[in-house]
Amino acid sequence: MKTSKTRRYRLASSALVALTLATTAAACGGGDDDGTTADGVTTITVATFNEFGYEGLIDEWNAANDDIKIEQVKVGTWDDAKANLYTKLAAGSGLSDIEAIEGDAMPAILAEEGAFEDLTDDEVDGRWLPWVEEKTLNADGQMIGYATDIGPEGICYRSDLFEKAGLPTDREEVAGLMGTWDDYFALGEEFIKKVPDTAWYDSSGGLAQAMLNQVENPFETDDNTVEVENDELEAVWADVTGNIEKGLSTKLPQWSDDWTASFQNDGFATMACPGWMLGVVEGNAEGVKGWDIANVFPGGGGNWGGSFLTVPAQGENIEEAKEVAAWLTAPEQQVKAFAAKGTFPSQVEALESGEVTSATNAFFNDAPTGEILAERAQAVTVQPYKGPKYSDILQAFQAAVLRVDDGSQDAAQSWDQFLTDVEALG
Amino acid sequence: MSNSTTSRGGGTQTVSSPREGSPSASGPTGRAPRPEWRQRLTRLDVRLSPYLYISPFFLLFLVVGMFPLGYTAWVSVHDWSLIGGKGEFVGLDNFREVLGNPYFTKQLVNTISIFLLSSVPQIVIAVVLAALLDNQLRGRTLWRMSILLPFVVSPVAVAIIFGSLYGDRYGLINELLGYVGIDPIGWHTERWASHVAIATMVNWRWTGYNALICLAAMQAVPRELYEAAAIDGAGRVRQFVSITLPMIRPTMIFVVITSTIGGLQIFAEPRLFDETNARNGGSDRQFGTITMLIYDFGWQLRDLGRASATAWLLFVVICAFGIANFLLIRRIGALGGDR
Amino acid sequence: MTRRPGFLVYGLLAAFLVGSAAPLYWSFLLGSHTKEIAAQGVPPLLPGGHFWSNAERAIATIPFWKAIGNSLLVSTVTACSVVFFCTLAGYAFAKLRFRGRGPLLVFVIATMAIPTQLGVVPLFILMSEFGWTGSITSVIIPWLVTAFGVFFMRQYLVDAVPDELVEAARMDGCSQIRIFWHVAAPAARPAAAILWLFTFMQVWTDFFWPLIALPHSNPTIQVALNQLQSGFFKDYSLVLAGTTLATIPLLVLFVVAGRQLVAGIMQGAVKG
Repeated sequence: MKTSKTRRYRLASSALVALTLATTAAACGGGDDDGTTADGVTTITVATFNEFGYEGLIDEWNAANDDIKIEQVKVGTWDDAKANLYTKLAAGSGLSDIEAIEGDAMPAILAEEGAFEDLTDDEVDGRWLPWVEEKTLNADGQMIGYATDIGPEGICYRSDLFEKAGLPTDREEVAGLMGTWDDYFALGEEFIKKVPDTAWYDSSGGLAQAMLNQVENPFETDDNTVEVENDELEAVWADVTGNIEKGLSTKLPQWSDDWTASFQNDGFATMACPGWMLGVVEGNAEGVKGWDIANVFPGGGGNWGGSFLTVPAQGENIEEAKEVAAWLTAPEQQVKAFAAKGTFPSQVEALESGEVTSATNAFFNDAPTGEILAERAQAVTVQPYKGPKYSDILQAFQAAVLRVDDGSQDAAQSWDQFLTDVEALG
Repeated sequence: MSNSTTSRGGGTQTVSSPREGSPSASGPTGRAPRPEWRQRLTRLDVRLSPYLYISPFFLLFLVVGMFPLGYTAWVSVHDWSLIGGKGEFVGLDNFREVLGNPYFTKQLVNTISIFLLSSVPQIVIAVVLAALLDNQLRGRTLWRMSILLPFVVSPVAVAIIFGSLYGDRYGLINELLGYVGIDPIGWHTERWASHVAIATMVNWRWTGYNALICLAAMQAVPRELYEAAAIDGAGRVRQFVSITLPMIRPTMIFVVITSTIGGLQIFAEPRLFDETNARNGGSDRQFGTITMLIYDFGWQLRDLGRASATAWLLFVVICAFGIANFLLIRRIGALGGDR
Repeated sequence: MTRRPGFLVYGLLAAFLVGSAAPLYWSFLLGSHTKEIAAQGVPPLLPGGHFWSNAERAIATIPFWKAIGNSLLVSTVTACSVVFFCTLAGYAFAKLRFRGRGPLLVFVIATMAIPTQLGVVPLFILMSEFGWTGSITSVIIPWLVTAFGVFFMRQYLVDAVPDELVEAARMDGCSQIRIFWHVAAPAARPAAAILWLFTFMQVWTDFFWPLIALPHSNPTIQVALNQLQSGFFKDYSLVLAGTTLATIPLLVLFVVAGRQLVAGIMQGAVKG
């Protein structure tokens, strides 16, 4: 008994030694902090969220370049990326060489003086649409980010479910039925009468985003004063929460498990679709047939999102990072990203390229997505004013919508709590 | 074995005196006297070694334990932003703000509710399980190992796995409930249902672990007690209630207190269970906990002052619960022993 | 005792065993099917053939190997450090006499009750000052010693090392460190193995602090799993394949050292 015990411990301790050695070896393999290894290769990390369509581009770069390698760091949602971004910004270390920023948060990033590199460069002069470029300039006129894409919105819909409800399925005809939000909601009520198990749109949160992007000053006045008790916002609130009662919404949080599963379970029939959403729909609805996109957006055009690549000043390889960011956002690359995940270009040249204008999307019933999104971009008339607090307030607003959605509060209670939450942002 | 306790306390004094004199005493007995410097070195070695041995612990503890504790207090009385750093001294304003925040009360109640839902059934089941294991089982070690299996799954993994089971609309559990005619339960939206879901995760991971601790205590109960009781005609259940339970009381206190310290800090399970964008514990903080509030204040609202104040309040709550538990169990035990 | 258990006891235990294993099986089951099947409420009861393809996608989505490597590194280094320093301190508290021993020991025990979460704000500020946030050092440092470890080793060594042996070694002119090395350390081995295992597991499964301290590009496996779960395509076949894969290292440890774990838990209880 005694000997077997000692033997066991001896076995265990030699296992420990082996493990320690293995670990040390592993550590030596991958523990380079500044991204430069002994053989002079610089690794540039690029942190993205959602889908940027960069996988193919990065392979292409890495195959062509020996001195600089790109490594992508993917995070699920912008909210997660944001929490990480601010934490590491505060810590002064830990950020990737290139950090992607969601468009709505760009004003807040511009306000962080000195934290991000000035990327102004003659080479990229005039690369972007003027209204996009404007969003990248801070108070001193420095260019803090390189724009990747824009998010002109159309309406994605399930033609098979439309057919089931006796609605037209052709994308031109569908477009004709959704000129205003009232038309869109009325059509929805008709739809859910015929197909009671399926909601009209994917989530109240998505709808709220779409409607907010048509409001001049959703949360803040032009001098950055927080002003959430305004008529326009209250109108959006009334529409979004009113529809919940009518049963038009799935009542699911956007990006949740159930939301994702609802793509596979005929959970809803339509959704607001900025270009980058096409890749998301295709991923979630893999194997589902009948998706299409209509060249229309209720209440005029709308732009949802579009992101920016920034270079944090705390990085060790600023110049290389800048080079990579410029390359990733060059027109030729953005054309390829558009082909991969539908992220619609913000670069003038890319928008004129034949590959974009003539692009079709097989998953969406061969819809001419290039043409549709280009027209959708032209339809955008309102650029909502977004100040430094926009992103944080939006998060609170989404939670408020969700409280009504999941029935934990009625609209009035939830609105009051939203006001308190906004106040707590300080 | 049993008298070792006395030897560490009282024994030291008596043993020490002859030893102090030993170098000089060794001289006359014939051994060559050691050189003066060696003696001094030895004495220094004896005197300093203990401090040297415990110093790594205390030094590191000072840096990663004591300092943070004091510094949390310092931060909590200042305006302190995550990005901007230290601001003005604000006294108890942060505490006032946190205590006045409706989310604090709500998340405190959630934390306590989840804690009770997870620890009470857990300890009951653990004791029963231990009683089952306290038999002459075939394949004893295998059974013991098998109940410990969930313990090696990390809380993050547990939360992911159970999260997929508890889907509100397309989850397995609601589907199964549907088969027996029960309406789907809003695991992520109904406050108490969400607490049950999270408590299940905790219970699944920890019950086996606590059962083993109880088992060890049960095996330390002298078997003669059972034999005597059996002769007096006490049945198995009766034996369990009037012998086993009182005898394992100290262990129960240990289990309850450690699970209090851990349970009130719960973070990974509710955070990963949450599917809303903000990840604060549901749209209306249905299952947000105090530790999640610390994270929310500090790293989402970027206010380290309020985060620190919340941390201190959590500490107070944990201490209060620890003491209450201790008293409660002592009392229950005392009642049992009075008979 | 001659209590021979009946079917009821075995039946109940077996039921419990099924309950223990079922969620793990579920994780593997969904991880082995395609996304379409995983999205249904009730999937087939038998595994499908897509586990490796799902696992490969999971590995491509998060820095999986880096995360596993980091977790192994952090857990191993801290476990070794805890064992070494705590054995040293535990030995001093158990067998050596020095001024202030009693109060200091009480202090150690008292600190066991301090929740780690409490110090998280200053720890963050401290690590930022040193520029360690983002590097794996920031996760290792706070765990290098634990009060529990000191207490655990002290309790074990009080009984395991006879006072006479220490005495005798001293009379022979052994230096303190030699006595520790040749008398205390060998005797401490069983307890040290247990402490090592527990520290390893504790650090491996820790989430709160690594979530704050580590970036998405350099995570531990728990932080990486969080990334996977919050993923954009919430694809359960992928997420659960990754989760299953990430659980394997500890399952292996469990198979190899499960007996010691059981023994450790039961011993810790009696002593504590």
